[in-house]
Amino acid sequence: MMKTHAVAPLLLVSLAGASSAAFATQYLTVEQAQKAIFPEATAFKPATLQLTLEQMQQMEKLAGLPARSAAWRSFSAFKDDKLLGYIVLDDVIGKFELISYAVGLLPDASVRQVEILSYRESHGFEIRSANWRQQFVGKTAASGLSIGNGIANISGATLSCTHVTDGVRRIAALAQVVLKK
Amino acid sequence: MKKTLLAQALSIVFLGTAIALPAHASEAELLQRIEKMAAELEAMKAELAANRKKTDAVEQKQEALASTVATTSASAAAGGNAAGGSAGLASWAQSTVVSSYGEINYTRPKNAANEAQADVARAVIGITHRFDEKTKMVAEFEWEHAVTSSTDQGESEVEQLYVEHELDNGLRIKGGLFLMPVGLINTNHEPTAYYGVQRNFVETAIIPSTWREAGIGLSRTHDNGLTWDLGLTTGFDLSKWDAASGEGKDSPLRSIHQEGQLAKAHDLSMHAALNWRGVPGLLLGGSVFSGKAGQATTDFPANNARITLWDLHARYTPGLWDLSAVYTRGTISNTEALNLTFVGQPTPVPSSFVGWYAQAAYQLWKNQQYSFTPFARYELFNTARSYSALPAGLGVAALEDEKVATVGASFKIGEGVVFKADYQKFKLDSNRDRFNLGVGYSF
Repeated sequence: MMKTHAVAPLLLVSLAGASSAAFATQYLTVEQAQKAIFPEATAFKPATLQLTLEQMQQMEKLAGLPARSAAWRSFSAFKDDKLLGYIVLDDVIGKFELISYAVGLLPDASVRQVEILSYRESHGFEIRSANWRQQFVGKTAASGLSIGNGIANISGATLSCTHVTDGVRRIAALAQVVLKK
Repeated sequence: MKKTLLAQALSIVFLGTAIALPAHASEAELLQRIEKMAAELEAMKAELAANRKKTDAVEQKQEALASTVATTSASAAAGGNAAGGSAGLASWAQSTVVSSYGEINYTRPKNAANEAQADVARAVIGITHRFDEKTKMVAEFEWEHAVTSSTDQGESEVEQLYVEHELDNGLRIKGGLFLMPVGLINTNHEPTAYYGVQRNFVETAIIPSTWREAGIGLSRTHDNGLTWDLGLTTGFDLSKWDAASGEGKDSPLRSIHQEGQLAKAHDLSMHAALNWRGVPGLLLGGSVFSGKAGQATTDFPANNARITLWDLHARYTPGLWDLSAVYTRGTISNTEALNLTFVGQPTPVPSSFVGWYAQAAYQLWKNQQYSFTPFARYELFNTARSYSALPAGLGVAALEDEKVATVGASFKIGEGVVFKADYQKFKLDSNRDRFNLGVGYSF
């Protein structure tokens, strides 16, 4: 009995260790992003959100963007029994490369925080700065979540900024349609 | 499903007990039986609850598995179409990316209709290949003016070819042929990235965009929005100066650039750039490039000449505005002896050349697919602000500042296609006043 109990966590830890070594240039792992967005949380419950066609259409209308996918990977953050909010993970293309990011949302579907997990382009690393990401805090899909209208661009990284901003707006719309209680 | 199970279970129990019941059971026995059934019911309820908990746990495990499967399949998706919900895993399918940009322009001088011209200004193919999470190569190949041959005026060239590696502490190191971090356009030169059909004069005549050198570069971006660049590269070859042609007057540095083409590397150049993007929407930066340009050429009277170019630039994009400004100044030292050999020719080597511009653009209209952005730019430039002093009568007068006003607009389809139109007015030489049209794309 003791043997099986010890092996499983050991395996998990070594797997986690292996994966973080392979992606050493990632700025944040998923776990680190979770802690950064909801530092007071005691538990994160994973859930894959599956949208119906109707929900996807509502999302598109709210965001002004194609819904792009019916499946979204998310976490609910809890402090003991209290729901603190949600985290949705996503990837977008910057100019040539994939940008991985996480959007933290409050139960009312407003943005709590945006974290960049990995950024590989040659320019535009400023997208990771707290000042740029601060622009998203407190906003909803309704307004203030587009370049030139609430979010300022980073010179030389227009495509990266636009795509991440569109992604956050899409996720804010997703939260409003699917997650908001 | 569960209800029928319960019903079935109940009926089985009922039947079972019914069969076992003797014909002449007493009341007490009946009560006993009922009690027994009640107990069994409770037991079954408990079992059902336990089963329900088990299925919930299995479901959760399934979800976790499904999301990891979704993540791996998403990261394996080709063509950069990442499915929503994939976490930050390396996307190995994105390891080789082909990019491209192109411009086709039409120019019509106002006072010289016979000089109207249409040109495939540039066609560029770029390839980026990522070897691993920290290492990649970047290549950019270009054709200018459509046709290249010994009797045609086109040019085909390698514009960029370098490898870049990111060290663990965030420091990026690159080696090869790469763009100098000077001004605003040089590193951001796709047709969708600037206003006006032709690139502005300050950043073509003074800063010789697209300016690239071969060498090594270091770069790092800090969390406070500061990015610095440092590099050691090839520089200019002053022995290429042709005093008989007007090329040096069009652009002094462009006429003596080496572009990594069998470049003389006796005299290397250093460059440093600092760019601050600490406030969202604001860029403030500057750079300096310096190196000797004689290249120890045999019997060359200017082996001690040093070429230095520095620039200051700013860009601010509040709301729908796009405001930018660049100031740049270049100097070439120790040119007296060389210019003495050029006496009588139209284009001696200048000691200084300078330029600046201010530009404002405003996104007047936009819907999901299209956007319309008018702009205005005022620029001043002088490719020969001063010459080193020569004995009286031997020198050439310094040029007067040329001032150009450009007014126009960009009409974009999505983010990758742009139609441009503008009109340019020249202060000094109004024969150059012209109307421009252009179409460009970038992906």
